[in-house]
Amino acid sequence: MLDRQMISRVIAEALRRGGDFAEIYVEEKSLTGIVCEDNQIEKVNSGRESGAGVRVVSAGNTAYAYTNDLSEEGLLKTAGIVAHAAAGAARDIELDLKEVRSGLTLPFLKVPDQFPFEDKVEALLKANEAAREAGPDIKQVTVSLADVHKQFQVANSLGEIVEDEVVRTRFVINAVASRENVIQTGFEAVGGVVGWEILDEIKVEDLARQAARRAVMMLDAKPAPAGRMTVVMSSEAGGTMVHEACGHGLEADLVQKGLSVYSGKVGQQVAASEVSVIDDSSLPKKNGTFRFDDEGTPGRKNVLIEKGVLKGYMHDRLTAQKEGVEPTGNGRRESYQHKPIPRMTNTYIAPGESDPEAIIRETAHGILVKKMGGGQVNTTTGDFVFDVQEGYIIKNGEVLYPVRGATLTGNGPKVLRNIDMVGNDLGFAIGTCGKDGQGVPVADAQPTIRIKSMTVGGTGFEDGPEIKRIRRF
Amino acid sequence: MRDRLLDAGRWAVEQARGNGVEAEAFVLHSEDLTIEVREGQVDTLKQAEEIGLGIRVFQGNRLGFSFTTDLSREALGETIRRAVESARYTADDKNNGLPEVVDGYRRMVTYDEEIERTTLEAKVEMAKQIEVVSKQEDKRIKIVESSGYEESRYSVAVVNSRGVEAFQKASYCGLYISLMAEENGEVQTGFAVEAKRHISELDPARVGREGARNAVRILGAKSAPSRPLPCILEPYVMTSFLGVLAGSFSADSVQKGKSTFKGKLGQAIASPQVTLVDDGTYEKGISSFPFDGEGWPSQRTVLVEAGTLKGFMYDAYTARKDNTVSTGNGMRSSFRGLPSVGTTNLFLTPGLSPPEKLWEDLERGMYITEVMGMHTANPISGDFSLGASGIIIEKGKLTYPVRGVTIAGNLFDFLKDIEGLGSDLRFFGGTGSPSVRVKRLSIGGE
Repeated sequence: MLDRQMISRVIAEALRRGGDFAEIYVEEKSLTGIVCEDNQIEKVNSGRESGAGVRVVSAGNTAYAYTNDLSEEGLLKTAGIVAHAAAGAARDIELDLKEVRSGLTLPFLKVPDQFPFEDKVEALLKANEAAREAGPDIKQVTVSLADVHKQFQVANSLGEIVEDEVVRTRFVINAVASRENVIQTGFEAVGGVVGWEILDEIKVEDLARQAARRAVMMLDAKPAPAGRMTVVMSSEAGGTMVHEACGHGLEADLVQKGLSVYSGKVGQQVAASEVSVIDDSSLPKKNGTFRFDDEGTPGRKNVLIEKGVLKGYMHDRLTAQKEGVEPTGNGRRESYQHKPIPRMTNTYIAPGESDPEAIIRETAHGILVKKMGGGQVNTTTGDFVFDVQEGYIIKNGEVLYPVRGATLTGNGPKVLRNIDMVGNDLGFAIGTCGKDGQGVPVADAQPTIRIKSMTVGGTGFEDGPEIKRIRRF
Repeated sequence: MRDRLLDAGRWAVEQARGNGVEAEAFVLHSEDLTIEVREGQVDTLKQAEEIGLGIRVFQGNRLGFSFTTDLSREALGETIRRAVESARYTADDKNNGLPEVVDGYRRMVTYDEEIERTTLEAKVEMAKQIEVVSKQEDKRIKIVESSGYEESRYSVAVVNSRGVEAFQKASYCGLYISLMAEENGEVQTGFAVEAKRHISELDPARVGREGARNAVRILGAKSAPSRPLPCILEPYVMTSFLGVLAGSFSADSVQKGKSTFKGKLGQAIASPQVTLVDDGTYEKGISSFPFDGEGWPSQRTVLVEAGTLKGFMYDAYTARKDNTVSTGNGMRSSFRGLPSVGTTNLFLTPGLSPPEKLWEDLERGMYITEVMGMHTANPISGDFSLGASGIIIEKGKLTYPVRGVTIAGNLFDFLKDIEGLGSDLRFFGGTGSPSVRVKRLSIGGE
């Protein structure tokens, strides 16, 4: 990592022509990726990347530049570019950088270097075989793994410096099943801010079988109905709903620009009183876990919604300063190539009181979501959608048959008020969240919850109660 | 830059050969500029410079790969060592190997000197003008989230141990706006974007007006009843469908059983009005380039002609597997990864009639202006179910706006159900489409 004296000189250069705040973020990482497809190890990748980004903030406006050239000359040149864009009185500063502490420890037991290539290849081949055990309907299996070992420094004109390392691992299985003219897929992923000891806790063969089972089962699924109905989301389904329905809308940059339905609602009831929403980067080993965010603020637990009442937003330094609050440790960036912005980390709806099975039993007619896919939200209107990977029809409290091709759409604040049962369980899923062209790893979770009524988008008009309505036209 | 990249590539390939492997270096240098304006001020100014080298080696039939952002000899040596090491673990696959040397490449103008010559101030002005025009266009435009200017100037070198040496410089630039319209307490969002090869083709006023209109036209939207309806898709919406469909035309998907088009060459897979082309030489396309990520020449490839499946996109590996030649689709988005089959400029060829003719005979239908969640559509099964907004068509006229509905169907049925194409071909990035009419999609609403 870079010499601290040199870092001080780069920050001073960035502020030479003015500006309120300057920062340098330096990253050195080594990455590995291996893909097994068509029953063979098809692709390998192992790379090294290093770079630094420098920013200057003046009167709330940001100038950002980055380079792969980590020599003092290269960094001063980069600082000079941002200095050029800064406004205000010229400053000549000298910094004595002090290390910021975090109360969290992240033990990485088996870092990528300690998990040999041979063992990685073996794990991939095992998973591939296990998935193919599901039978002749399985036509293709893609298994991949990736790890990153990153060292980073972030230092700023307030005299703060953080130096830390992060290990991130991921194992993903995609199975494709087909019969006659129908093709369906199944997907499972595991990963987080954890070393390869993650594979001591989770058997990749089990994951692979699960992905394959879902692909095969979906071959026989009926088309999902379309229309409004009760939705039960199982805790296994992951937290895409909370991520889209309220997570993004609670990111302070969108709130401050007036682009969130949750703007100006702190202290107000925005969800049913059963609902509490938390973002917590300090949970161990999750996909959105860290000791420090990418601005050097220590990670922590933030209660966003408590018993239905909006408590606060997720901030980076810039939005926190604008609002006159403490940064919440949500300033994240994809890499040295991006400026930090407010982002989620590990976001979840807190578990409630109900027995998950009772929630299903007490549902007369609806859809049970057992696995969610991706989603998207328009934070301004609050409208969101997400994809159902594994869904079932519930009738009179019983889970009947699987359905495919369903998407759920709703409006964030409306859906949150419409949650009428919250289970006492909690299930996590991992994902990569995209915003402003930056992808960052996140985890999200929900207990089993019931939403009284939501729009299900499927193609099965013959199947639902809506058929009457269609005939009226 | 030419010498710097080619020298690094040659040196790396030479060193790798010393290890007894065939090798290819892909070297990229890029400089990007982003100006984001908000309320008449530069909110974010971003300038970037990036360089890196990816090295692909073949130890016999085994593939290895590594990359680095450090082009010093020491770092390159280490990168080669890792690439060679990784080749010990990959499959012995006889279709692996470098592409052959080619005679040369088509001369193409892919770089606009004017981008470099235009001052930063002039670019900031363009970004500001988009915002100003959007607010003038309609007084209901209350918040402009951001408007901006972006450019990228890059150089690519591909060198391999069979003698390939390719170099080209390219650039593109673009404008965008994202905004909010408000009326009677209701808000709706809109955006507009354009990307061009030449800076002189950019028109900030056009982008500002379009962004404003896109937001205002959805004001007052309500939900719609659930039922199947004929639909018209705007070019932007259709290009995002094409983005999902593209994978099915990749030889890699076909060979691995991940494409429904496997074994269907020569068969009708779409309505007779559909012709789909991938063209890396298309003059106006921002993805045009003389060669692909493996140094193979770009070409025009007809995928679907009048509804009949005519061909697939190939890179060197998939071509060898099918005993054919690459179509120049060995794409690389950066030096950080291996080449794989991908699109260049992919587009549906336009029809003859103006887009508004597409709905004039419809008793009832939906004009779809926006979809959400396209990344959840399944490219393999073709099933999609998306959030959508649009305008209801009644008796041949656009009437009231709707939002918060879903549209669902299957992409491959969709291709067969296309009933008409407008003359309004438009590109968004490297993908282009005219307005398209499709026989029916399932609308999910109230």
